Amino acid sequence: MKILNLILVLFSFSSVLALPNCEAFKYYGDTLKYEACKKAMEINGHYQFSKEYQTILDESLKIDPTFDYAYWAKSIAYLKSGDFVTWKKLIDKAVEYNPKEYLGYRGWCRYQFFRDYKGTIADIEKLDSLVDYDIGQSQNGTYHLNIAKGLCYKAIGQKEKAITIIENQIKLNEYENFVGKYDYLHLGVLYLETGEFENAIKMFKKQSHTNELAENQYYSALAFLSLDKLTEYKSCLKKAKELYVGGKKMHDTYSNPMDKIYLDNIENEIKTAYNN
Amino acid sequence: MLPNIMKNYRKQKKLIVILIFASILLSCQSEKKVSEKQDYLRWVGDIEQNDKIDQLDFKACHGDDEILQYFNLGEGPIYSGEKSAILNIFKSRYIPLADKEQNGLIRIRFFVNCKGKAGRFRIFQSDYNYQEIKFDNRIVTQLADITKSIENWKVLYRREVPVDYYMYLIFKITNGQLTEILP
Repeated sequence: MKILNLILVLFSFSSVLALPNCEAFKYYGDTLKYEACKKAMEINGHYQFSKEYQTILDESLKIDPTFDYAYWAKSIAYLKSGDFVTWKKLIDKAVEYNPKEYLGYRGWCRYQFFRDYKGTIADIEKLDSLVDYDIGQSQNGTYHLNIAKGLCYKAIGQKEKAITIIENQIKLNEYENFVGKYDYLHLGVLYLETGEFENAIKMFKKQSHTNELAENQYYSALAFLSLDKLTEYKSCLKKAKELYVGGKKMHDTYSNPMDKIYLDNIENEIKTAYNN
Repeated sequence: MLPNIMKNYRKQKKLIVILIFASILLSCQSEKKVSEKQDYLRWVGDIEQNDKIDQLDFKACHGDDEILQYFNLGEGPIYSGEKSAILNIFKSRYIPLADKEQNGLIRIRFFVNCKGKAGRFRIFQSDYNYQEIKFDNRIVTQLADITKSIENWKVLYRREVPVDYYMYLIFKITNGQLTEILP
């Protein structure tokens, strides 16, 4: 799991991995894009938010206003500062000029930063319709994009559809030995919310084996409570608190993940457990 | 005849020189205009002090050029009393406006100084299609007032030194109801 976490951390800074190959533009005779690309590469060493970084990309776009990479690279600071209007204008341009490259990214960001569930679903489904290969992971590497899509369906109230999508993707992830760090937990919570308590507990046990979390024990407790197994309920709550205090909880650098809980939630549940 | 030709030649030469100078001057001006358009601050999202609307005694402990972003410290978005405290504050104090026309996102950006105090609040509004709009002022004012009334924000540290950092809250509004708070 530690290796998986390391890979995921590296993925979270994957703008480096997405650097375009300028020589390829030259090889295919697109000299304008080659020049724009060479200019854009001067951003190396500058912070995404800095005026130097933004100015270099403006110059790149002056050379070739259809250079999708420059729009994407410019958009990141606006996304992270919460300026959704400027971000959307820029990322829309990147998608316009290279939909297969940026639709999945835009869809993921709409979810991660703005909880724009319908927009995320539309982007991921559009990407799926355009390509015949695997649509891949979210930008931070936490989820396969289909898992993110499933979470969005859950958020708009279509829980059965969400379950089907996530179940199918987890099967594929298991086959490739690349299950996401929260996949089982999310599916377990969906089972819990739809009254499938035994299935929920099965998923939470799988989550425990791959990546134990306070949330996992908290939701396990709720499932046991629904099955009237009060000893397990209390024991899970105790573990949830220990894990939470020990820092074993859901985390995202930019936002709070879906199904995340807080210490308050655990302590309130503990009070309820011992008052009854 | 020859003097006339020479005279014309000199005139043409003069004209060419003037044209070359003029074109150089114009190109300089147009370059200047382009560079003037790129009116970036130090970082995207930086907020400059505006004495007309900002508290005069609210300052960054380490100067404006050292203000970080909340995520630079790698801890994610964290709040005093965790996010549940923020959710409870808005849940208990925001009075929804029953209006089907009020839909979209409201972002309030500000910075938190090394003492955990917030200031320089800036508001930004859009519909759910990311197009700028203006919400009913009764919604915006409430959200701004509640945000400004939060006395303690999380103090973040870098190498054990408390830092200043930019933070924001995004409010999702549907039919005038506050449905989600991000990040």
